[in-house]
Amino acid sequence: MERRSKVATPIKKGADPALEGEFEVTLADGQKIKVRPVFDLIRQYLYDNFDPPSVSKLTWAPLEAIRDLARLIARNRGKTLIAVGMGPNHFFNNDLKDRAIFLACALTRNIGTHGGNVGSFAGNYRTAYFNGQAQYNLENPFDIELDPAKPARIKYLYKAESAHYFNYGDRPLRVGNKLFTGKTHLPTPSKMVWFSNSNSLIGNAKWHYDLVVNTLPRVDMIIAQEWWWTASCEYADIVFPVDSWAEFKQPDMTASVTNPFLQIFPRTPLRRLHDTRGDIEIPAGVSRKLADLIGDRRLIDYWKFVHEDNVQVYQQRIINASNALRGYQISELEENAKKGIPALLMTRTYPKIMGWEHTNENKPWYTKTGRLEYYRPEPEFIEHGENLPIYREPVDGTIHEPNVIVAKPHPAIKPAGPEEYGLRRDDQSVEVRQVRNVILTPEQTVASQHPRRKDGFTHIFITPKYRHGAHTTPVDTDLMAVWFGPFGDPYRRDKRMPWVGEGYVDINPEDAKSLGIQDGDYVWVDGDPEDRPYRNWKPGDGEYKLSRCMLRARYYLGTPPSVARSWFHMYAATYGSMEGQQKNPDGLARNPRTGYQAMFRSGSHQSAVRAWLRPTLMTDSLVRKQTMGQQIGQGFEPDVHCTVGAPKESLVKITKAEDGAASGQGLWRPAALGLRPTYEKEAMKRFLEGDFIR
Amino acid sequence: MAKVFNWHLNRTMEYPFSEVRPKKQFAMVFDTNKCIACQTCTIACKNAWTSGQGQEHMWWNNVESKPWGFYPLGWDVRLLDKLGPQPWNGGTYAGKTVFEAAPAGEIALGVMPEKEDWSYPNIGEDEVSAGVKRGDYIRIPHQPWMFYLQRICNHCTYPACASACPRKSIYKRPEDGIVLNDQTRCRGYQECIRACPYKKVMFREDTGKTEKCIGCYPRVENGFQTECVVNCIGKIRLMGFLSRPDQAREDNPLDYLVHVRKVALPLYPQFGTEPNIYYVPPLNVPARFSRMMFGPGVERAMKEYRKAAEDDDLAGLLVLFGSTPRIIHHFQVKDGRARGWDEKNELLVEVPIKEPIKIRPFHDEQRNVYRFNIL
Repeated sequence: MERRSKVATPIKKGADPALEGEFEVTLADGQKIKVRPVFDLIRQYLYDNFDPPSVSKLTWAPLEAIRDLARLIARNRGKTLIAVGMGPNHFFNNDLKDRAIFLACALTRNIGTHGGNVGSFAGNYRTAYFNGQAQYNLENPFDIELDPAKPARIKYLYKAESAHYFNYGDRPLRVGNKLFTGKTHLPTPSKMVWFSNSNSLIGNAKWHYDLVVNTLPRVDMIIAQEWWWTASCEYADIVFPVDSWAEFKQPDMTASVTNPFLQIFPRTPLRRLHDTRGDIEIPAGVSRKLADLIGDRRLIDYWKFVHEDNVQVYQQRIINASNALRGYQISELEENAKKGIPALLMTRTYPKIMGWEHTNENKPWYTKTGRLEYYRPEPEFIEHGENLPIYREPVDGTIHEPNVIVAKPHPAIKPAGPEEYGLRRDDQSVEVRQVRNVILTPEQTVASQHPRRKDGFTHIFITPKYRHGAHTTPVDTDLMAVWFGPFGDPYRRDKRMPWVGEGYVDINPEDAKSLGIQDGDYVWVDGDPEDRPYRNWKPGDGEYKLSRCMLRARYYLGTPPSVARSWFHMYAATYGSMEGQQKNPDGLARNPRTGYQAMFRSGSHQSAVRAWLRPTLMTDSLVRKQTMGQQIGQGFEPDVHCTVGAPKESLVKITKAEDGAASGQGLWRPAALGLRPTYEKEAMKRFLEGDFIR
Repeated sequence: MAKVFNWHLNRTMEYPFSEVRPKKQFAMVFDTNKCIACQTCTIACKNAWTSGQGQEHMWWNNVESKPWGFYPLGWDVRLLDKLGPQPWNGGTYAGKTVFEAAPAGEIALGVMPEKEDWSYPNIGEDEVSAGVKRGDYIRIPHQPWMFYLQRICNHCTYPACASACPRKSIYKRPEDGIVLNDQTRCRGYQECIRACPYKKVMFREDTGKTEKCIGCYPRVENGFQTECVVNCIGKIRLMGFLSRPDQAREDNPLDYLVHVRKVALPLYPQFGTEPNIYYVPPLNVPARFSRMMFGPGVERAMKEYRKAAEDDDLAGLLVLFGSTPRIIHHFQVKDGRARGWDEKNELLVEVPIKEPIKIRPFHDEQRNVYRFNIL
């Protein structure tokens, strides 16, 4: 099972490796070359560019805070946990940020110890905990094992691909004279899409309205399996209703990166609320029908244990072949789960301490050298100036020139400039930005401007996740919607409200005032008109009316000037929800035909953001771990080395749409009563100061 | 008016009825420092008790962000404003309670919310006390600051709602101190709503009566903690029974936190109802604000709570929060483990204070499998 790595070469005892300096080395062919240790190259990059005053100017963090943080980390060697979540992980430069964090943690011995580590997540599922799942989803369909006691035989008959090409217009990244998507990543046009309870794949896709207007018309068929009528269902040809977690009639199992448990869903004695089926029964049923049509029994046998209501056979096969599960019996796990007795994932340590083996036992990391690598020698990384862990400005969510490499002249940072791709150096159009390797010094960066600043685009718009929703589930239920932010009213006294709660954007009150926006007003949030809300929009289009983001503005003291925040989960306006607002007697933004309930009057948070593809996430050369197991491979690998749809950053323009009062005229009531920030009357001022006790 | 002793105020005060304490007093402790305002408690309560028609605006349990969060709108600011600034003299309250400040002909000084005030239950969520400026960063105590305040009916020793009811339909149960509203007697005068300083009685239009938190009495009668407690994912809540200060038992979890260690304090004790929900005050908030909200014991409570990491008894009791659905009557901390027993001295739960770290063998011989952290 485990093969000793021959790649890792431990440093000989007594060796004294040079960390700094320049040396001359003679190659085998006699040629003499100059070399410098990676440490020295990185040190130069950091010292040249990121002294505390420069970092302070770039990040707005005061000098004092930067020094405090450095001292805190220094005082807590091996005890500093850097937790990174849905905020920074959703920027285009997120992997560079991770390389920088790992660098800081490696230098301060904060990797692989309990408490001192890097904790980063965006998406809580990790399929690799079930690294025996090939037993189920890769069973050879031409050699099916019908004996429940025996393991399946596996055959790879699929090719994975990142879903994020789909919402990028189903295209690879081709800009100027170059195709930047590596051939191992193989994006192909999507003819047919069939998804199962997948975070509203269409409804909450980045750049949702571009997907709807420009891509979906080219897809022949869409099938959705959902237990919730999402916006994805609105655009599906076929929707199969499936059991919710509370209705499972087959046991199921899952695991998460943020807790140590193997989570088991026991079968429920509750009745189904609707005429639904288990997720697994849908493909099994379709397959059985195909068997009837073409008379091939294998189409039934492939789902034998589904038809026999004994999916535990597949689960036990997965358990037996999974490193963290082997030893468990599904029947026992289910019995325990019914009684509320949890099961632990049998990882090497409890709790899971990532990197423990590599730090404490000298096991190789999943890299070419087996070490944590701080230099990337692959040609793609050198071409984009990312061979060192450099800093790039965000691709859109910045007030400065987007995606520039921040560096003073450095011998190892020599990226291909725009001219090499047949592009003009000053071309900052949206598509070009993705591949634009322009270097600015910290001073030049701070003095530079986002190209849309001149058009009144003032706010860095972020759309992180909120604690009252899980991705796109289930914020449109009435009880959740009422609590989804400050504008919930179960009686909808303001009939403009799309639902009993609605989407909103947090704005710094002083910023809002300067834009003529009051607390509680409806506002428009517009992204770069070059391609948002969708490519080739025109002002009079019905699609434009549908897709322009309108929501409430909240005066939010917690966000600094020029940053605006909206949440990620809210249900987008659809053709049907827009129709509902016109036709429904109560004005609800609810599709009269499907019951789909939007939380926006028009558009959504996805109107202002778009899909971005990042060249260095699409290489054919990077050596990396396979998604599951301990093997090493190269190039594309789902979840490990592939393009992501995470960038959810943009620079937006915010303009007032309507007054906030329920009547549509005047100030929102809580503000008018003097109970809101900057509107506070005497009693509220005394309260804030704690002045009601003498 | 009778003279009753209110130990929160360390003095006697005026109250319409004489002092009759229940055999046991339903009480809770909320640790404000551990709450993330996920509202799981709120939804658990809603699903259990108030999911019907006419109850849409009704949240017996809610969590509001202070200072800008209110349910109903402005409930405490309005009453504090009406009462005016009041003095404490050391540990003794020298100001006026809502009973003592009552206008002529009324039982208690009160505020009647308007219907619209019950909208926007999550207004003010996460909002801080003052504007964050470019370059601000976090220090303790926070400036700007905010915290989460968990709220249910306080099942007060001297309930203002009960005293104001012209029908005497609200009563305090002698067996456990839970305050209930008899739906067969209530005629919907809503005097209880006006009088309750915490605004935890609500009017239901379709029945024409008021409703309030029932302390999950069917659960409590069977030895179980309430829905809002057992569903709390942050384990910030503990429900039990609180003794009078002079009868405090050191092995009663509620007595230990409230009377012995004094880390948990009542909400707005100055209102004078002797509320029975207690709060570990937030460490990140200026003491001046917390004193207004939780009384003069704030500094001491914060100091004690900060020591919990080095104090097995306190840390042990804190890990018993949320570790059993049953009501813990006795607890003990020994050898790094906390244990809780029910009324009949049956062991309910045993929890280590520090979760042990396990390093498993790389190769599990018995099951012939290799274990990894990265799979």
